[in-house]
Amino acid sequence: MSTRTVALLGAALLLTACGGGGQIGDTGGSGDSKKVVLIPGVAAEPFYISMECGFREAATALGYQVDVQAPAKFDSTLQTPIVTGVLANKPGAVLIAPTDDKAMAGPVKQLKDAGIKVVEVDTKLEDTSIAVSTVSSDNEQGGRLAAQTLATLAQDKSGSVLVLNTKAGTSTTDTRARGFEDEVKKFPNLKYIGQQYTDNEPDQAASKVTATLAANPDLIGVFATNLNTGEGAATGLRNAGKTGAVNLIGFDASPKQVEDLRGGVVQALIAQDPAAIGRIGVEQAVAALEGRTVKRDIGTTLLALTKADMDANEKYFYKQEC
Amino acid sequence: MTQPTGRTVRQRLFGANTLWIGLVLLALIAVFGAIRPDAVLTTFTLQTTLVETSVLLVLSVGMTFVIITAGIDLSVGSVLVFSGVTSMITMNALNGGDATTAGWGTVLVGLVTALVSGAAWGLLNGFLVARAGIPPLIVTLGSFGAALGAGQLLSNGSNVSGVPDVLSDNLGTGTWFGVPNLVVLAAVVTAIGALVLSTTAFGRHTYAIGSNEEAARLVGIGVTRHLVKVYLLAGTLAGLAGFMALAYFRVASVTGHDTDNLNAIAGVVLGGTSLFGGAGSIVGTVLGVFIPAVLRKGFVIIGVNVYWQPIAVAIVLVAAVWFDQSRRRARNRR
Repeated sequence: MSTRTVALLGAALLLTACGGGGQIGDTGGSGDSKKVVLIPGVAAEPFYISMECGFREAATALGYQVDVQAPAKFDSTLQTPIVTGVLANKPGAVLIAPTDDKAMAGPVKQLKDAGIKVVEVDTKLEDTSIAVSTVSSDNEQGGRLAAQTLATLAQDKSGSVLVLNTKAGTSTTDTRARGFEDEVKKFPNLKYIGQQYTDNEPDQAASKVTATLAANPDLIGVFATNLNTGEGAATGLRNAGKTGAVNLIGFDASPKQVEDLRGGVVQALIAQDPAAIGRIGVEQAVAALEGRTVKRDIGTTLLALTKADMDANEKYFYKQEC
Repeated sequence: MTQPTGRTVRQRLFGANTLWIGLVLLALIAVFGAIRPDAVLTTFTLQTTLVETSVLLVLSVGMTFVIITAGIDLSVGSVLVFSGVTSMITMNALNGGDATTAGWGTVLVGLVTALVSGAAWGLLNGFLVARAGIPPLIVTLGSFGAALGAGQLLSNGSNVSGVPDVLSDNLGTGTWFGVPNLVVLAAVVTAIGALVLSTTAFGRHTYAIGSNEEAARLVGIGVTRHLVKVYLLAGTLAGLAGFMALAYFRVASVTGHDTDNLNAIAGVVLGGTSLFGGAGSIVGTVLGVFIPAVLRKGFVIIGVNVYWQPIAVAIVLVAAVWFDQSRRRARNRR
């Protein structure tokens, strides 16, 4: 090991030690307990912006000050410094969407150790002892809803049904796919032909849809478990001249997806309710601060949007700004 | 190793390297075709496979030149994203924020923007590699991150929509005598690339630098200048690929191109181009790009278990290169 490596390691250790919680606790807690901070998974994404809107509204209504600090990318190395920065200001509570279920455990635990109430929103840590509450979409219900919506759209026609998933081992999308798989079996006219992984690449999603069409010309529905798979599936169906003929069900309701729903590229969207996640997250955080009972796990419901009923459900569209 | 001068076109095109990898491709199609003739050997499967490979093919043509000079370009996927974003933002800005109904003039401006954006990154890569003498792996690893970051910065991290209908309907999904327009464009780019590499001084200098940079310098080739041009070419083609992806997906996507660079490199190497430089061909690259595409498609059609698919693709890729290498070693011993 060279001297430089040793020096670097030493510096890194020193930094870790400094961040280890000693100094903050010693300052005597001069923080602002009437303040709640939201740390989303990534900046400028419609899903998190909508969550922020619900968060701001609810916190202000309850008489709390708000602050939002988002990392530029969905990456734990970018989220960690934000967490430590927020820790220095010592707010009463923090709502966070951890970008990694293990790597974020350390920084988030520092928040807890400094007496800050932590509520997980959207995603969660593997270590369930840190947060007082976890508010996230019930992804399994979302998957089941997708199957029911597909059955409605297909009416009584029968045919094959495909699930386009992202990467094997992604917990949220795997849960959506599982919910779909369980529910679709209840409809005898829908023949479930399994799922395909796409590595979250639109071009792979497009190619797997056309390959499936070649092998199963009776394809009647595709459930794409996230934005990229939905985009790729739409491209594949368009190239095959099957837009509209095959029912495409997407997940989430960002502006471009809503536009595609209106344009008939997608037949249904399973929308999460990020505003409710933000609102309920604040309510739980405030309950914890004021010593009332807190519910440990809360699953928010999802909603199916189709072209016919989309205008009545406009409030479920994700927002670019509040 | 390869000496393109003094060989006939026929020899160049059907050199033993490409012939072998071509046979692998044919064998794959034959196997899949035998299992599901009704689904594999159809116009539909042919058309969609070609369209789905067009964007990657254009990236790989540029990559072939770079790898023949014994370089590497990891930035192509990110440059593709950056060019798509700048092109889309420019087109939207010209049309009051939404270019969906815009005409050909806007499309032309968008194309030029994409090409210039790609060229700018290529030029930067080229200067850092050739003039500053930084290893290409490091330079392009840097621009891989920087171009993607810049693209996300401009697009605020989300996909940019508003692709003009005339662009997506004509280039994206249109056909010309049954051949998708996207494929026609990719084929033209590939043909020009193949001709430039195999018949011009530019191509010969590319091989010469890859074989022995110092020797190339000594015989009077402007190595620095030439390397800049090669990276410029790869960047410009990545810009074009970004524009093609816009037409194809109808959105400038900022995610989902993370592995384009590796896919392009895999295709080029599979096609018999040496990572050590000095040897390779565009025809080989075409075949090399199609092998993974045919495999992925075939596996879905014949219903191979999803968890086996990446393993099977990996085995075929490594095995193909291994056989190719051993065959070449045997030939060199003779």
